[in-house]
Amino acid sequence: MSASLPAETLRIKAVYGHLDCLLTAIERLKHSGFQGFQVTSPLPRHEIEEALYEGRPSPVRWWTLTGAVTGIVSGFGITSLTAAAWPMANPGGKPVVSLPTFAVIMFECTILFGGLCTFIGMIVHTGLPAWGIDKALQDPRFSDDKFGLVFTGANPGDRERIVAILQATGAVEVTTGDATVYEVPNA
Amino acid sequence: MEAVRPNVGYGTANRDIISVLHRAPVAYLVAIACALVLMSFGGYAWYQQLTWGMGKAGTNNATFWGTYIVTFVFWIGIGHAGTLISAILFLVRSRWRTGVYRASEAMTVFAVMTAGLFPVLHLGRAWQVYYFFPYPNQRELWVNFKSPLMWDVFAISTYFTVSVVFFYIGMLPDMAVVRDHSRGLLRKFYDVLCFGWRGTDRQWRHFMAAYGFFAALAAPLVLSVHSVVSWDFAMANTAGWHSTIFPPYFVAGAIFSGCAMVITLLMPMTMLFGWKEYVNTWHFENLAKMCLLTSGILTYAYGMEHFIAWYSQNPHEQEIFMWRIFGDYDWAFLLMVFCNCVAPLVWYFPKARTHWPTLFIVSLIINVGMWMERFNIVVSSTAHSFDPAMWRYYWPSGTEWGVLAGSVGWFCFWFLLFARVMPSIAISEVKEMVAPPVKGSLGAK
Repeated sequence: MSASLPAETLRIKAVYGHLDCLLTAIERLKHSGFQGFQVTSPLPRHEIEEALYEGRPSPVRWWTLTGAVTGIVSGFGITSLTAAAWPMANPGGKPVVSLPTFAVIMFECTILFGGLCTFIGMIVHTGLPAWGIDKALQDPRFSDDKFGLVFTGANPGDRERIVAILQATGAVEVTTGDATVYEVPNA
Repeated sequence: MEAVRPNVGYGTANRDIISVLHRAPVAYLVAIACALVLMSFGGYAWYQQLTWGMGKAGTNNATFWGTYIVTFVFWIGIGHAGTLISAILFLVRSRWRTGVYRASEAMTVFAVMTAGLFPVLHLGRAWQVYYFFPYPNQRELWVNFKSPLMWDVFAISTYFTVSVVFFYIGMLPDMAVVRDHSRGLLRKFYDVLCFGWRGTDRQWRHFMAAYGFFAALAAPLVLSVHSVVSWDFAMANTAGWHSTIFPPYFVAGAIFSGCAMVITLLMPMTMLFGWKEYVNTWHFENLAKMCLLTSGILTYAYGMEHFIAWYSQNPHEQEIFMWRIFGDYDWAFLLMVFCNCVAPLVWYFPKARTHWPTLFIVSLIINVGMWMERFNIVVSSTAHSFDPAMWRYYWPSGTEWGVLAGSVGWFCFWFLLFARVMPSIAISEVKEMVAPPVKGSLGAK
């Protein structure tokens, strides 16, 4: 497993059965100055997001805004420019550029472009497709009933300290890149 | 009735919900066979129309919008409940949506797919459907964006696209669960579909943000789509159609029929697949309450239409509304009032709205009633318009009945297929309903 990693880094994977234990581990690791670990969970828990990102909002919102603005401009553009191309065709005696009648198209384009850009933004920021994601994160228990905490590039010199924190916080299994398993009694 | 949380662990929820994907009860196979027979019937009817022309349909010079447009509006209405339940109830943090929203979203997507067939069928020359869309061409001709029919093309295309994307991204984590419970090629299939989802903190963070924005975008869309459909009628200067009450009236009707259809579809599935832990009386009672509210709005709208016709002193309006009650289609009017205004009243009794057979039967009655409502609106106004020389009696032809039956088969086929391929209950959201596994307490963190 560690063959594909640079020699100076190490994988460490911890499996947790309890949410509060995982949150404690995140806090202690952060307090000890460790960064660069990933947490997996079978469901979205705001406590995890809060612990890791401390309320920083996702940048996906900018994609939504950009899409919506592009949509409303495009909606106005296509309706007014195509109407202006044939100014003599004047259905119902309406003005050539008739905002009340074009508002529906502008609204629909706002939603459509906003939605599609949100989707693209989500794909970009989540890193999907993630078929080549680190093997340590590809544990089927993480979509079932277990939480995971994974270092994919830890400094080998920190190994003992990290493992000690993970064990002390109630991990049911801790595995390192060299496949040593640290069993935790009474987990 | 109090909220019912599933009394299961995370792992059990996974296995219970996806167990359906590994077995097909006999009743399921019978249902899908029936859907295929109906679809073939509809396909044959359409083939007849393509071969012999629009004369095969029962529409005539006066009633130029017949069963195809009635059924188009019916299916668009059915397609409303899914996005309402998934988006609006998500934004207001309503917990009962969890058990029913995935199947409702699927219903939305397949209902809009079904509805989308009808303008094409109604065209006659189906191969010229691309005329609907603005595209650069050598004649430099463009569609008329001032026409409500063009608004409708945009509204429905947008609704379908946004609903499909919303539906799909909601399923990503659940498809990953199915992948992790599959082997071989199936595992690869679901891995491709879920884009290799692994539930990392980064993935959940942006997923939840995107989901919230999607819900916020889809919520006004729910209200706008049927408003735009109603303008297909209300913008025309036709007695019985030209009314400002149409948008709220149509939206309420759509939510009413959609929620009833969710009951009709989910109740047999719950019994067949053993999902009572996840979809139960609490969910169906809440759907029944939604129907009660919207039934009240519809009853008000029916009454107000007639009142305004009298109050306006417009003889054409007065004539058409009296004709709806006492004319050739009086039976359709009475059936509509019974199904949409009277039958749902039984749900005011808590015992009736928590009794599964009653819920199911009334939901079926509502489905019939809402088709009759669209029949009343579409057919009566055109069959009895301004010029008495143009008054005609319209009755759907065998081809139209065949296509209608085929559309039911088409819808049911996709829905049943979905139920065997994808988790019909949102697994990750069910897990959110379950108390998280903790050793101490979360508050201490």
